[in-house]
Amino acid sequence: MKRVVVDPVTRIEGHLRIEIMVDEETGQVKDALSAGTMWRGIELIVRNRDPRDVWAFTQRICGVCTSIHALASLRAVEDALEITIPKNANYIRNIMYGSLQVHDHVVHFYHLHALDWVSPVEALKADPVATAALANKILEKYGVLNEFMPDFLGHRAYPKKFPKATPGYFREFQKKIKKLVESGQLGIFAAHWWDHPDYQMLPPEVHLIGIAHYLNMLDVQRELFIPQVVFGGKNPHPHYIVGGVNCSISMDDMNAPVNAERLAVVEDAIYTQVESTDFFYIPDILAIADIYLNQHNWFYGGGLSKKRVIGYGDYPDEPYTGIKNGDYHKKILWHSNGVVEDFYKGVEKAKFYNLEGKDFTDPEQIQEFVTHSWYKYPDETKGLHPWDGITEPNYTGPKEGTKTHWKYLDENGKYSWIKAPRWRGKACEVGPLARYIIVYTKVKQGHIKPTWVDELIVNQIDTVSKILNLPPEKWLPTTVGRTIARALEAQMSAHTNLYWMKKLYDNIKAGDTSVANMEKWDPSTWPKEAKGVGLTEAPRGALGHWVIIKDGKVANYQCVVPTTWNGSPKDPKGQHGAFEESMIDTKVKVPEKPLEVLRGIHSFDPCLACSTHLYNEKGEEIASVRVQGVVHV
Amino acid sequence: METFWEVFKRHGVSRRDFLKFATTITGLMGLAPSMVPEVVRAMETKPRVPVLWIHGLECTCCSESFIRSATPLASDVVLSMISLEYDDTLSAAAGEAVEKHRERIIKEYWGNYILAVEGNPPLGEDGMYCIIGGRPFVEILKESAEGAKAVIAWGSCASWGCVQAAKPNPTTAVPIDKVIKDKPIIKVPGCPPIAEVMTGVIMYMVLFDRIPPLDSQGRPKMFYGNRIHDTCYRRSFFNAGQFVEQFDDEGAKKGWCLYKVGCRGPTTYNSCGNMRWYNGLSYPIQSGHGCIGCAENNFWDNGPFYERIGGIPVPGIESKADKVGAIAAAAAAGGAIIHGIASKIRKSGEKEE
Repeated sequence: MKRVVVDPVTRIEGHLRIEIMVDEETGQVKDALSAGTMWRGIELIVRNRDPRDVWAFTQRICGVCTSIHALASLRAVEDALEITIPKNANYIRNIMYGSLQVHDHVVHFYHLHALDWVSPVEALKADPVATAALANKILEKYGVLNEFMPDFLGHRAYPKKFPKATPGYFREFQKKIKKLVESGQLGIFAAHWWDHPDYQMLPPEVHLIGIAHYLNMLDVQRELFIPQVVFGGKNPHPHYIVGGVNCSISMDDMNAPVNAERLAVVEDAIYTQVESTDFFYIPDILAIADIYLNQHNWFYGGGLSKKRVIGYGDYPDEPYTGIKNGDYHKKILWHSNGVVEDFYKGVEKAKFYNLEGKDFTDPEQIQEFVTHSWYKYPDETKGLHPWDGITEPNYTGPKEGTKTHWKYLDENGKYSWIKAPRWRGKACEVGPLARYIIVYTKVKQGHIKPTWVDELIVNQIDTVSKILNLPPEKWLPTTVGRTIARALEAQMSAHTNLYWMKKLYDNIKAGDTSVANMEKWDPSTWPKEAKGVGLTEAPRGALGHWVIIKDGKVANYQCVVPTTWNGSPKDPKGQHGAFEESMIDTKVKVPEKPLEVLRGIHSFDPCLACSTHLYNEKGEEIASVRVQGVVHV
Repeated sequence: METFWEVFKRHGVSRRDFLKFATTITGLMGLAPSMVPEVVRAMETKPRVPVLWIHGLECTCCSESFIRSATPLASDVVLSMISLEYDDTLSAAAGEAVEKHRERIIKEYWGNYILAVEGNPPLGEDGMYCIIGGRPFVEILKESAEGAKAVIAWGSCASWGCVQAAKPNPTTAVPIDKVIKDKPIIKVPGCPPIAEVMTGVIMYMVLFDRIPPLDSQGRPKMFYGNRIHDTCYRRSFFNAGQFVEQFDDEGAKKGWCLYKVGCRGPTTYNSCGNMRWYNGLSYPIQSGHGCIGCAENNFWDNGPFYERIGGIPVPGIESKADKVGAIAAAAAAGGAIIHGIASKIRKSGEKEE
């Protein structure tokens, strides 16, 4: 048995360490630990502050999935204060959210995950002519999903962003890589395990396509976020306000934040999102997936997704009056709310549990545990609901090594800065894969009357199953399936943005230009005490913020975030989180270069800044500095 | 190592296009046209500089901003202008392999590499609130800075401390100049900094082999020389006394000044007003939200965002504009001292309430 450490895990957000125990004879991973190795304390920092400011603080939880924590925070505060936002604000927030989904997933696949599958070294062996021919075949075979993707506007004359699948295009990228390798300055490609046998699993031509698109999409990705720059002023970290959005609309004024010209800029960017996912992302991932699954029988890394997944639902079609009161879940188009167990047995045998409104205030449903986390609870055998959460840091060091220089983590004690959230005491996976499994199960088992978004998702899954010639329960709960689900979700979000854009145009055309409900802007209109829940589906999975407001200030604030679910350490019952389960569900060829495990971890798109936060019941009093008066110079 | 001109040549770029590029970036860096020959000379002779980009406590928004740069495109910077040898976010390698590579670059290019730092070190619990390779980040930071030619503090975390250092700063996070004392540090604040400001700073250092001229607080003057208020496209509405009184009112639809709903443009030094974001596409004020002052020290603790800032006489008619400008210029000269005075006055203002 060999103990292998990978620290730092790169190509993620934040700081993560993994340790695996490998049976050297079989390559089977027998046990695995994942540890969040940073901690910032944002929830303590927002206490006693103005609830209208908190979106900006919590937004800084992550600059990669930038804006999603702002959205969860706005929803939590609006839920507490019973504020309903205007229609335009709902559509604009949805476009900003959808743009995040597309951008985050595209960058994840090409810039954080692709180098697990394709290698610049292998790309040098490719024949550019054969590569071009293959690229065209891939577009033909795997581009069939594009055919049922809706275009609600129908404004685009022809696709502007299209793969230049010619020998010349690929030859240029190959020349670039060759010079880079010959220069000896490999830069970001330096020091990786390029000699790992898994890089031989794809033909050189697929490697060249992958590397070319890696570089090409590095330039295109910036355009995917343009809607956030127009509506929120910048990116990362665009602006919002409690009660709606800040970008007022006027069709009569070029100084207006939103006018006809600005809307055209947004629309153009949305079409770029559509083309980037339809013509690059989907064909690329499906081509790689088909080879891995069908030629190499590579079904590793499903782990916890086979057992249990959880989601909250998103895309309110129209403004809602609250989340706690159940109205949010009545209005959403994307029904990923719920829990599904045992999907690997087939969709008919999977078990479904609904989650909506009041379930998020139920102290028995969502709880966090700290048995193996560097925090202290009065009774560590019990979990706490976010509204009752306590965090008292309790760093205990490693099993071997010193406090500041580790050798191995303590698997029997505390070993991570991440807490362990559980649903009814059970571990769950979150993320695009979870959402796709939940919607698919709900529709196929007839639990809901599907919306067009739900139907689109089912259609995507069925079409991919046909292309891969595998049933969903076989390909979905795997590392490859997790990566495909992310691509499908990006494509769905891009096309859904066209839908919101149409609704926004129609509403403005009907004479409504309101973007903010300011009735409860003044804190004197608020109740003495209020509690709220803010839900959304972040790119990496289900996200919830819980707020308690007292006397106009934040009294307690807590976030249960996607990477806390997926990257959690063990709980009192010894149940592993999703990262750990995925590693245990994997075999490695070269134990000291566990590329397969790294690939599995990357398929979750880990975000450690997101998962390492702090709540505290005993937070210090924070004096708020009022800025008033006049400077006399 | 290759020079820029060699890199361009092997890209098949003509001499004419190369010179055109040199002229463009000379302008981008805020230099006079007379500097073009020096830029060309620098590009013909300079090799690709190795860069180590390390991450402490942060949210990665600076890296995300950097890859959004349009002129120059981040891909050109990363692949042709610098040699990004270590980056938690973009490096292919992981674990011991990537850490060993960092050590190798430090040794091989001692005194010749640039260290870019995103985020900051927490000093609480012996630095174990931020751990890399089983060691505290603060140790990696010191070790990486020792042989660096210069250090870039990316963003408000590295420059000032930013969100995790806001009260009560549970991890004792500090800006990097609290632990690196003997190296030139270029502070590029902002949460995040504007993409083109980031690539502009890198371009300057790579091409001229020196750090850009800095102000008294260590920020490149070319990008942090003006208050957002001075270059804001809504300044004329401020001067005319035309204000948004409440979000989404008639003034908001007309794009009037946001000072009364809490804009910090008058006390924030950055290029949002003149360069804007996304290559000139927009900036927060253009989207109808006040500036929250994210490039300024301690901005999180400078009171609620939607409360109007003190110290700025509000004009009612245009004739007062000159006077406002004069006060602003005096304040700009004072830098940190003025900040201190302002805080004192704020306190006294509070007492008066």
